[in-house]
Amino acid sequence: MVKRTGNAGRNVAAGLAVACVVGLGLLAVPSGAGAAPELPPISAEDLLASVAKAKPEAFNGTVGLENALGLPALPNLPQAGNGDSTARIWSDGAGRGRVQLPSPQGERTLVSDGTTFWAWDSSTRTVTKHSESGHPGAKPDVNATDPTGAATEAINRLRSTSQIRVDGTAEVAGRPAYELVLAPAAQERTLLREVRIAIDSEKRVPLRLTVLSNGSNDPALQLGFTDLSFGPQDEKLFTFTPPPGTKVEEGEKHDQGQRPQRPEGVEPTIVGDGWDTVLVAKRPEGAPADKDQPDKNQPDKDRPGGVDLNALGTPVSGAWGSGRLITTAVASVIVTDDGRIAMGAVPEQVLTEALAK
Amino acid sequence: MTAMTESTRAAALARTTVPTAAPRHAPMGRLLAAEARWVLRRPRTLVMLGVFALVPVLIAIGVAVADDTPGPGSGLIGAIAGNGFVLPIVSMTMALGLLLPLAVAMAAADAIAGETAHGTLRGLLVAPVGRLRLVGMKAFGVLLVATLATTAIAVMGLLAGFAVIGGADGQLITLSGTTLGLGEALARVALVVVWTVGQLAAVGAVALAISAYTEHPLVVLASVLGGLIVFGVLSAIPALDWLQPYLLTSGWTAGVDALRDPTPYGGMIESSLRALCYLGLGAGVTVHRMLRRDA
Repeated sequence: MVKRTGNAGRNVAAGLAVACVVGLGLLAVPSGAGAAPELPPISAEDLLASVAKAKPEAFNGTVGLENALGLPALPNLPQAGNGDSTARIWSDGAGRGRVQLPSPQGERTLVSDGTTFWAWDSSTRTVTKHSESGHPGAKPDVNATDPTGAATEAINRLRSTSQIRVDGTAEVAGRPAYELVLAPAAQERTLLREVRIAIDSEKRVPLRLTVLSNGSNDPALQLGFTDLSFGPQDEKLFTFTPPPGTKVEEGEKHDQGQRPQRPEGVEPTIVGDGWDTVLVAKRPEGAPADKDQPDKNQPDKDRPGGVDLNALGTPVSGAWGSGRLITTAVASVIVTDDGRIAMGAVPEQVLTEALAK
Repeated sequence: MTAMTESTRAAALARTTVPTAAPRHAPMGRLLAAEARWVLRRPRTLVMLGVFALVPVLIAIGVAVADDTPGPGSGLIGAIAGNGFVLPIVSMTMALGLLLPLAVAMAAADAIAGETAHGTLRGLLVAPVGRLRLVGMKAFGVLLVATLATTAIAVMGLLAGFAVIGGADGQLITLSGTTLGLGEALARVALVVVWTVGQLAAVGAVALAISAYTEHPLVVLASVLGGLIVFGVLSAIPALDWLQPYLLTSGWTAGVDALRDPTPYGGMIESSLRALCYLGLGAGVTVHRMLRRDA
């Protein structure tokens, strides 16, 4: 009798252990892997029109960025480098918003309260303050992590030279969405295969932006909500009070320290249009052309804040001259020895053609 | 002396029931109290708690002596400067890496393997206490150590943060740049205490399972610490990214989320669910072993 209950207990205990291992496996399964939802069919034009008409609403959500662009990580924007990062976003639908960029060691908070734009950095415990009208560098920060802004911009830009179609449905952040696909037209010579934008079937706002490049099944860039809920938000989120004992800097001064002014008369020229647009620009002022240097491999360390372009890329040459080619998953850049820079989401050949013009 | 204590304990356990009565009726409260006394009477437990209480004090002195201005790259330690309420949370997060699991592993090693090594487990196995209750009693002892160690760090962290560092006007400046009052700050510290004890309970359950299978306490310590190191190495290999959701340690940075405002609870909930799975696994294996164990 005692032995039998003991055996039953042992079986229960073994069952518990097995159940917990299974549970661990279930926890590990990504939650977003649901079946594609069934939605009434819609044409790409109608979908785009409804997106353009959609009114901004108050929401909060978490945005995940999966970056495989192959860019180096920048000191002030670790999100630019390869890897995953998240942002938490709140919006009141009327221009005020809050973005928090958590990192393992700290957090950056960006708050736009309607009249003032606040930027908080926990690693330096400083607050930077911009007045809402004149802060060139601040607004794009918000847009860059807001898929609504990023996707709408992409739609407008690519409409003329692209095939636009609705390709099935997807579930993003637990919400059914249409998948809008922009693929380059046949004559476009580009590194990009397609850009997919998941659009919420009910609210008609972009939920996810995926950039796929040629020769890879994994997205070069994916920016999308992992969690999203619509509804009125706490008013406190759209205000910011600098914590006691912190430095508050005025924005303009900060901006000049961060971004060197573009020298006069170095406006970039644009060659081509659509997906194979190439941007040709002069190398920034103060960067001596390589032919002036006695040793080509000598990095020009004297240039303050400059990037040592000689260390990057592979040397290339042609009828247009010679220079160095830097390639990433979605773009190529050629820096010529006579001080020109050509860049675009195109293969090398298109860049050299643009340089030869 | 151990033998003396042990014999009185066995006698105390035996006294709780009439020998001829059904053997499952010793009051649980008395069993747990006996185990608590047994655990807390060990000098090593007390020394360990004392050392743990020193962790936040040392961090506080370090931060106070160092330059007061946080700069880029100073990380979480930098967030403590002039912001005392951060100290208990950062101390707990740092201790969770290795120190707290060590304490739990030690308690679990003593609980079954240690008693086997001393030959004192036999007394418990023949005592009129059901095996399930015995495991529950031992698990309680381990959980008690985990709770006390975590609380010691939290309380000393609060005191040291208040005395050595001083708060920002008695408030907590979160990593998100917002300011929280005293009550909210204490609630955040309490949240991290509860979450940390939950994670330690998972470590303790697995350690107890190992402890039930060996008679060498060192094996338990080595397994737990070795396991933590292996988990750390595995999570550092990019090609093994898919393993991350299975590793108990991969959610251990979530305690810092309590310093963000509004608090993202996702990380803490996920790691707690994972801890629950490890807890169930450890408990299942321990019970499975102890039900059949010969006296």
